[in-house]
Amino acid sequence: MAEENLLTDDFVRQLINVGEVDILVGLPTYNNAKTIGAVVQSVQSGILRWFPRERAVIINADGGSRDGTPGLVTGVSIDDMRPVASMNALRTLHSISTQYANTPANGVALRSILAAAELLRAKACVVISPDSENIEGEWLWRLLRPVYKDGFDFVTPTYHRHKFDGLLVTNLLYPMTRALYGLRIREPYTSEYGFSGNLGSQFLARNPWEDKSNDSWGELRFTLEAIRERSRICQAFLGNKHHVERRPSDLVPALRQTVGPLFSALDSDFSIWSSVTGSQPIGTTGPDSPELLEPVRVNRKRLREMFSSGVADLSSVFQSILAASTLSELQRIARQSETEFEYSAELWVRTVYEFAASYRKSVINRDHIIQALAPLFRGRAFTFITENRNGSAADVENNIESLCLEFERLKPYLLQMWRSGQ
Amino acid sequence: MRELIIAELSQVLEEMARGFAHYLPRLIVMLILALAGWLIAYVAKIILRSILRLIQFDRLSENAGASQLLNKAALPSATEVLSRFVFWVVWLGFILLGVSVLGILGLQEQVAKFFIFLPRLFVAMFIFFFGLLAATFFSRAVLLASVNANVPSPRFLSLAVRTVIIVFVLSIVFEELGLAEQTMLVAFGIVFGALMLGLAIAFGLGGRDLAQAFLERRFLRISKDENEDELSPL
Amino acid sequence: MPLNEDALWYKDAVIYQVHVRTFQDSNGDGIGDFQGLEQKLGYLQELGINAIWLMPFFPSPLRDDGYDIADYCSVHSSYGTLEDFRKLLESAHHRGIRIIIEMVLNHTSDQHPWFQESRSSTDNPRRDWYVWSDTDNRYKGTRIIFLDTEKSNWAWDPISKAYYWHRFFSHQPDLNYDNPAVREQMWQVMSFWLEMGVDGFRLDAVPYLVEREGTHCENLPETHAVLKDLRRRLDEQYPGRMLLAEANQWPTDLRPYFGDGDEFHMAFHFPLMPRMFMGLKLEDRKPITEILQQTPEIPATCQWSLFLRNHDELTLEMVTDMERDYMYDSYAEDKTMRINLGIRRRLAPLLQNDRRRIELMNGMLMSLPGTPIIYYGDEIGMGDNINLGDRNGVRTPMQWSGGWDAGFSTAEPDRLYAPLIQNPVYGYPAVNVLSQIGSDHSLLRWMQRIILVRRSSAVFGRGSIEFIHPANHRILAYIRRLGNEAVLAVNNLSGAAQAVELDMRKYKGNILIEMFGKNIFPRVSDQPYLLTMGPYQFYWFKLRRV
Repeated sequence: MAEENLLTDDFVRQLINVGEVDILVGLPTYNNAKTIGAVVQSVQSGILRWFPRERAVIINADGGSRDGTPGLVTGVSIDDMRPVASMNALRTLHSISTQYANTPANGVALRSILAAAELLRAKACVVISPDSENIEGEWLWRLLRPVYKDGFDFVTPTYHRHKFDGLLVTNLLYPMTRALYGLRIREPYTSEYGFSGNLGSQFLARNPWEDKSNDSWGELRFTLEAIRERSRICQAFLGNKHHVERRPSDLVPALRQTVGPLFSALDSDFSIWSSVTGSQPIGTTGPDSPELLEPVRVNRKRLREMFSSGVADLSSVFQSILAASTLSELQRIARQSETEFEYSAELWVRTVYEFAASYRKSVINRDHIIQALAPLFRGRAFTFITENRNGSAADVENNIESLCLEFERLKPYLLQMWRSGQ
Repeated sequence: MRELIIAELSQVLEEMARGFAHYLPRLIVMLILALAGWLIAYVAKIILRSILRLIQFDRLSENAGASQLLNKAALPSATEVLSRFVFWVVWLGFILLGVSVLGILGLQEQVAKFFIFLPRLFVAMFIFFFGLLAATFFSRAVLLASVNANVPSPRFLSLAVRTVIIVFVLSIVFEELGLAEQTMLVAFGIVFGALMLGLAIAFGLGGRDLAQAFLERRFLRISKDENEDELSPL
Repeated sequence: MPLNEDALWYKDAVIYQVHVRTFQDSNGDGIGDFQGLEQKLGYLQELGINAIWLMPFFPSPLRDDGYDIADYCSVHSSYGTLEDFRKLLESAHHRGIRIIIEMVLNHTSDQHPWFQESRSSTDNPRRDWYVWSDTDNRYKGTRIIFLDTEKSNWAWDPISKAYYWHRFFSHQPDLNYDNPAVREQMWQVMSFWLEMGVDGFRLDAVPYLVEREGTHCENLPETHAVLKDLRRRLDEQYPGRMLLAEANQWPTDLRPYFGDGDEFHMAFHFPLMPRMFMGLKLEDRKPITEILQQTPEIPATCQWSLFLRNHDELTLEMVTDMERDYMYDSYAEDKTMRINLGIRRRLAPLLQNDRRRIELMNGMLMSLPGTPIIYYGDEIGMGDNINLGDRNGVRTPMQWSGGWDAGFSTAEPDRLYAPLIQNPVYGYPAVNVLSQIGSDHSLLRWMQRIILVRRSSAVFGRGSIEFIHPANHRILAYIRRLGNEAVLAVNNLSGAAQAVELDMRKYKGNILIEMFGKNIFPRVSDQPYLLTMGPYQFYWFKLRRV
């Protein structure tokens, strides 16, 4: 059997030339030529401004771009071949690129970056999203400083976001991870985060790359790994998160990337989350509660319609996933008119928990379980938007907080389902 | 006359008794065979079950993905299914053996036919079982995809897929069972449709994203017209 | 061993910089002198150097280490007599060693008779020999060099009730080079020494000779005109002698001092030195290659002079603010080590007495294009004493042996011009010439060897340089070429072992011969040439076709 390698020979040669570094910036890309130029410029100026003395490297893990993205990344290298532009740089800055595959895969990209970080003995690493249009050099400082200077292992960001942006985060990921693991990480799923080299190595050791089953795992796993390792975690406020227009059908892939790993992690992490009650805040640099930006127009009607038709059409599927009482309650609200429609927090939490339990038991194909959650999430989103349509930032925060408490309150219900299934 | 009737009756009775006496031992043998067969089958089942449990067959089948399939067909665990199947086959074998002991002409032939037919039955059952699973799986996949893509009448689409797959599977099953002379024609007619379905499935699995993009292009024009902002879930 | 007669001798030279006071005391007064230096010429010959740069030895109130000259045509009595100097010169020449002396053109001591006359009255004939003014508002655009001590470039003279111009200390008034009499007088001073036989001058503070309103009074065309005139006279009357410019400037600003080969023969490359230290600390060749790439071509007869350390602070004037902060934090965390815009330390303490780093730095000094200058004591790894004021900490007596006064003098230790280094690491019992001569592996022995290797090939002094840019930025590699001769130098700036691939396709077919051990390395092919380098290791390879 031919030995397969995660890193190509060429990439290893480049890593030899880079040598030991203090700071590593990872950029997973796939056809990001439009935005990547500005991103790498910011990264470069961030390194020069905030870490001028540190040995730094930019590592691009590319999923087979055909628009010249890797070239744009490697173009920000600073070395003695380009003397004039770099007079304000103390040392060489390597910006290197590797194409790990012909098709993008989050997991392989992250693993390539982690493997590079381990080989380069990077002390502090940061992963930056290639489409962060409004990235500032200072983000590097905010995400890296806690790791590099203050001994933290993992830094998640917080943003100024529109109150209805990231509903999956505010209505499921944040409250559920918080309730389960007891840590109030506001953005458990993020494409920008800082971490220590040690945490990266641990993660790599725990998820050997030969194990291909995790090729699609996303960043959420990394957050969970940090929690699992009892790492020192903090949050860093980064500023505005630009509203990236996503197509509505992005919801299902989004669920697959986030809820999937979360549900499957519950099984292996049972010993951790089963003993946690309540939750602890974690330190945040910068403003604590995100300020909210100007409103966007939302097609609420469509959300509710898709919920109602989904409940009707998928009743056969829901029968195998949900408890009878939950299903009948859903069917009842699906028939309600728009004005009296309410998908209550309690019902939502029960829905999610029952989905998690059914996911564990694989009552039907696990991917189908995740897909079946989509119409229900739309219903919950409708209620959330309706409740907070005229709410201030504080109101929305209170609302999210009470949802979190609901998740925490009903945790015994999840535990009970879990134990009965064992 | 009366005597004649009585004589005929007693002769009939006598013949019946004689016949009964003639068949009784065989019947008893048959019953004994059936009983012993049940016992043996039961023991075989118990032994098989404990062996399978010992070697953790369930975990094996779970790793192989078979348990999930059984789950989806609302069947008990793989160990249970296998041991029950063995039980029934063994017992049925003994019963048929007993029946042949009765020495009824023609029946023996049928019994011999059954034993020749058994492997084909087994294959047919196998195909049917997995065909059913595939039908459930793909119809549910279509249902979920069309609900989430806001395609009209998802249940109809799902049912159509299910029906087509089941018809296809049945045609194969009948052919396997040798009852295909007439169904062959039907099956032939279905093949074209099945081919299309196969393509559709391949398209769906291999080009999920492509299909998604296609569906979006097809159905998103409506929402573009509404000119509403869409929210990012993350 | 007579002097070689090559007019370009300075290109092949290895120069030893020493102050006569610090080297050897022959009469037991605690101060080094010419006779003492003469006695030690054998040591210097053995070291392999072929030129000595003597720091100022003129009569002086010694308020600026002799750079405040009170009489240009005599010697300070502490160091001996003019006759002693003449004898030193003869002995040195006899041993094939040339002598370069210091000449301070820009200013005199305020004790100089010229200044005393000039200040005595406004109508004294020598009034015009210095730059006088009624206000201190002239030449506002001029920077102050000694920021730590001077507030202005003008000083008030209470005797003649006027301000006089000084670019350095206020006790060093600047001569007025707009006055033809001053220019003529200074040439007379120089010919006095040339007549005696000195081989060259290090001209101190040359950018500041002439002042003009509305300029920053540095590098002015009028200054260049003065210098060109001196050079013309030198070439006419004393061919084969050399002028070395001290001008702490960026390379592009320095370039005019070479003229078209009609101004200076040599000039110090000031910006390179801090960048060598920086490259070593950063483990990154970028600062070094960058500054050398910005260094302009100079006329064929001209030469850069390179140094690691000298009698002044490690000057950080020619670096950016960010680089300066980095250098301070890396090499002078203790603020007492800093002076003006620099670090007042010797080579060995700067490099934490790490023999490998000392060797690497000397290796680069000897292989980069230019004439290397070794500061006395650095060849044995002498330390410094930061508790002595100003830059005196790097000007302590030479450590000859572990015995009385380190073999420097027979005087009572208290009478020495400066205390000996006493600490356990760098003190004279630990670091001295005698013990190092006894050991084949001492730094001194190693320095002898590397100077020998350098002098074995003219390519180091006269060759061109061509950088190889291996992707491994910790490796500084370059090829020196002269005619058919080529030498490859590879330096590992990192404290860890490194693998490096050199693109040597241009030299395909050559074999490499390591210049110290003379061993043969594999032939260069089309493939990248792979070398593995130990921590701070450097190689010199001669390229040869066989």
